[in-house]
Amino acid sequence: MTDALYNKFVKRWEEVTDLPPQTVGPLTPFYKKAVIRLKVMPWPLLVVGSLLLVVCLYLLIGSAVTLLVSILQRGF
Amino acid sequence: MGKQLAASGIAFGQHMVGIITRPYETYRRIVNKGSLWEMAYIGMCLALYFATAAMVKTSLFRPFLLTRQFVLLGTAATATFLLTVILFWQVGRLCGAEGKLQGFMLGWAYSLVPTLVWFLMTSLLYVALPPPRTTSAPGVIFSIVYLLISATLFFWKIILAFLSLRFGLRLEIGKIIGVSAIVLPILGLYSFGMYRLGIFRIPFI
Repeated sequence: MTDALYNKFVKRWEEVTDLPPQTVGPLTPFYKKAVIRLKVMPWPLLVVGSLLLVVCLYLLIGSAVTLLVSILQRGF
Repeated sequence: MGKQLAASGIAFGQHMVGIITRPYETYRRIVNKGSLWEMAYIGMCLALYFATAAMVKTSLFRPFLLTRQFVLLGTAATATFLLTVILFWQVGRLCGAEGKLQGFMLGWAYSLVPTLVWFLMTSLLYVALPPPRTTSAPGVIFSIVYLLISATLFFWKIILAFLSLRFGLRLEIGKIIGVSAIVLPILGLYSFGMYRLGIFRIPFI
């Protein structure tokens, strides 16, 4: 039982450490903080980001967003 | 073959749930342990969309026209997929990428899921609420909700594409940005060609 658990742990460890951790120089701590929220269930962050983007777009171009959507709706 | 297809079907289902809930961990599994058979299921989902789009895009319900549109969309999407994979693979190799082509190809195939969802949503909405949108309150509200969903799917697509390059080509973030800076303009030109041919107005990447 212990051996099986240990082997499972080793296998998982090898899987996780297969790629060296991503670093971005002095920004690494910020990168890690942002990415941790995207690794599991990223949807709340994605929706919040999209909401900010759409609100900014609406504030920038106002009701012209309807024109943009009309173009996108013909885009498929 | 039957057993392989069934096992891949189960893996496909698990991976579909995984890319929604745990994209990072799931992509590592897809690239390292995924089977190319899973692409058959992705292909089936895409074929379902192309059939829907052919019906929406073709005003006359003639079998010949529908089939022609279906084949056109399918061929264009396959060509786009292959071109994208080859371009990223070749440019990635020049930048020192490792990894296996099979893993990267499968990872990129899964990154087509957000694209598929957006195109399917757009084509169904084209029938339910055809454009143009008006500047009335319902028109603006619909536009905001539509843009919100589109942006969310776009961000999801970026994450999955990033993970394909990260695990499939085993690149680090700086090189991923570099490779994308070379490949995306080429894909932009290709997409413009598709637009001029009237196949995809928005690139099916």
